[in-house]
Amino acid sequence: MKIPFLTFAIAIFAVSAGGAGAGNFWASCNYATAQANQSLTRDGAQTYSYTAAYEGYQWGGGCWNNNDVDEGWGDPPQDVNTHGEGADCSGLVFKTWKESENTSNGGLYYWNPIRNVHGPYTAASFRDGVGAPNGLISKAVAGVMDGFASGTHVGLIFFRGSGGWDQIIEAKCESCGTNIMSETYRSQSAYGGIRRIGWTG
Amino acid sequence: MERSRRRRRLLGGALAGGLAGVVTGAVLASAAPAVHEQGEPDIAPTAIIDAAHVPPLLTLPGEPVTLRYAIVCPGGGADPFESACDASGDVHVRPGTTGPFTRLPLRRTADSLDGRYAVDLPSAVARSPDGFSYYAVLSNDAAGVSMTVPAGGPAAPQRSLPLARPVVVRLGRHRFGAVRAADARVVDAPWGSRIGEVGLDGPPGGLEVGPSAFDVAPDGGIVVLDGVNSRLERWADGRVSAVRADVDGAVDDLALAPDGTVYVADGRGRPPLIRHLGRDGRLLDAAPLPERTWSQLRLGPDGPTAQVEPSEQWVPAAPAVPRAEKVSSGRAGRRLADGSDVVVLRTGTGELRVARVVDGRVRTGWQILSDTPLGEVQIAEQVGRRMVVVVKAYSDTADEFVALVLDGQGLVGQFALRSSEWAASAPLARFRLTGHSLYQLGSTPSGAFVDRYDLEVAR
Repeated sequence: MKIPFLTFAIAIFAVSAGGAGAGNFWASCNYATAQANQSLTRDGAQTYSYTAAYEGYQWGGGCWNNNDVDEGWGDPPQDVNTHGEGADCSGLVFKTWKESENTSNGGLYYWNPIRNVHGPYTAASFRDGVGAPNGLISKAVAGVMDGFASGTHVGLIFFRGSGGWDQIIEAKCESCGTNIMSETYRSQSAYGGIRRIGWTG
Repeated sequence: MERSRRRRRLLGGALAGGLAGVVTGAVLASAAPAVHEQGEPDIAPTAIIDAAHVPPLLTLPGEPVTLRYAIVCPGGGADPFESACDASGDVHVRPGTTGPFTRLPLRRTADSLDGRYAVDLPSAVARSPDGFSYYAVLSNDAAGVSMTVPAGGPAAPQRSLPLARPVVVRLGRHRFGAVRAADARVVDAPWGSRIGEVGLDGPPGGLEVGPSAFDVAPDGGIVVLDGVNSRLERWADGRVSAVRADVDGAVDDLALAPDGTVYVADGRGRPPLIRHLGRDGRLLDAAPLPERTWSQLRLGPDGPTAQVEPSEQWVPAAPAVPRAEKVSSGRAGRRLADGSDVVVLRTGTGELRVARVVDGRVRTGWQILSDTPLGEVQIAEQVGRRMVVVVKAYSDTADEFVALVLDGQGLVGQFALRSSEWAASAPLARFRLTGHSLYQLGSTPSGAFVDRYDLEVAR
């Protein structure tokens, strides 16, 4: 009697917990077509990025809801296959900046937060200004929704801070999640200033 | 024969149980996405309201003052983030700190680079010899929701003070590469998880997170927040010890209390949590901060205090302090041991204003001007009759910290320090000042360290 019960329990665990994965948030995401836009305001982007805050971090990811709960919390880091909630750093910038998956297209495309897309850019490619929509600026003049990018990380300016730091909206790490955090990237030589080309206000 | 039948029965039972388990598990797994979809309801984006604002904490004589706010709320339509939202707001302002507030409506500007909503203060307010105080009520008009900044409103308004006769310090152009060597390396910890090592974590090719903060006891003992290894490590008298702690690998700040317990500001929560941990690392108490973001956590004469955003005010951070008391105690400066406050404002590209405030008035103020852009102020601490400031000087390709020793006449000492920021840490947790020694938390590809610089500030 014990053995059938034991194999029953093991099989349930293997198929449901192991197979489905505790962090299979991507099953809730969609793959709808992006909508072409005419407008890209800094405060519109600021509000869009705000929906990603508190929703978690997923390396290689790019979809989230807006319930302020990380449904992929505690996923093993460094694994795109955990399919948890949230973007990674470059995925968040790509969606907030309304970019195309075609790097030669500088147009504006609205991606619903729950649309699962990461985009073609890494932190380093943002730092280097790769792609038609992406430009470089001097860090000293960077303002709301401009950003700072290094070879390993990228974040967007939510607002300046009073003491020379910045409030940055960023998908930072599995433990950190996505949040508005005070950061000193502006003054760190590893980071360069980046700007979406085509702000309309 | 009997044994063979028994083996067949066992095998058959195992196969049947396993098959039933596979079927049941598959049903549960296929139901999992539905469970996600029915999880906590999404917050309607239309209901979002938040804000950002940099208060003009210190103003120069004759300087016009424009208050700017970013109001975070979505617009309408299929893309609610395409254009600016339907928002409005009022600033309630008065000269000094007493009397009635005057309501000034914010105007909507064409550009949101530094905040779309603005109001120019009347010169009678902006140039008041007592400075001015104010708060703002900001609304998402489409959803009918509003917020007050600072959260304490008229009970704890923003405070701006005039720097009537600042001591002007001209730093000129910073010469990168001429850094001072440390007097001692008091912590030298390779990456790892053994005692005496500190953890390093991050995705492949991604941001590396190391020890996020540290603090220094009056006797020179060092406590390092090793979040990756969920522990506190202590270096004292040439020995290292560690205790498990209720912390994770997020980028938290830390303040050490005189009794050896520590306060930790959470790097990920909404709102962020302050945890009070015993010497043994066990959680003693925890409570949220009153605003969404913190920039730094310090120990003041009345306990832990944190600077929070969007107000940029310093508020009591001890978990035992009720939220209402926290928001009604917000102040522009950080309280020092002698009861005075230190107020800091980095403005423009290369200007830093610092003031020591006694009884609500600037006792000594400094206007520090640099031809090289200035970044964050890591510390501004009073030592005897002098003020020690550590600020970052940077270009687009180089950066160094600059330590300044100031007195009532000007600059009495200055040196540069290598930035050593290979791994991420809490933003303003890289320096601590204890006695006459400045301590720096740094990192390299091989590990983390704490260096000590002895200051000649005895006078």
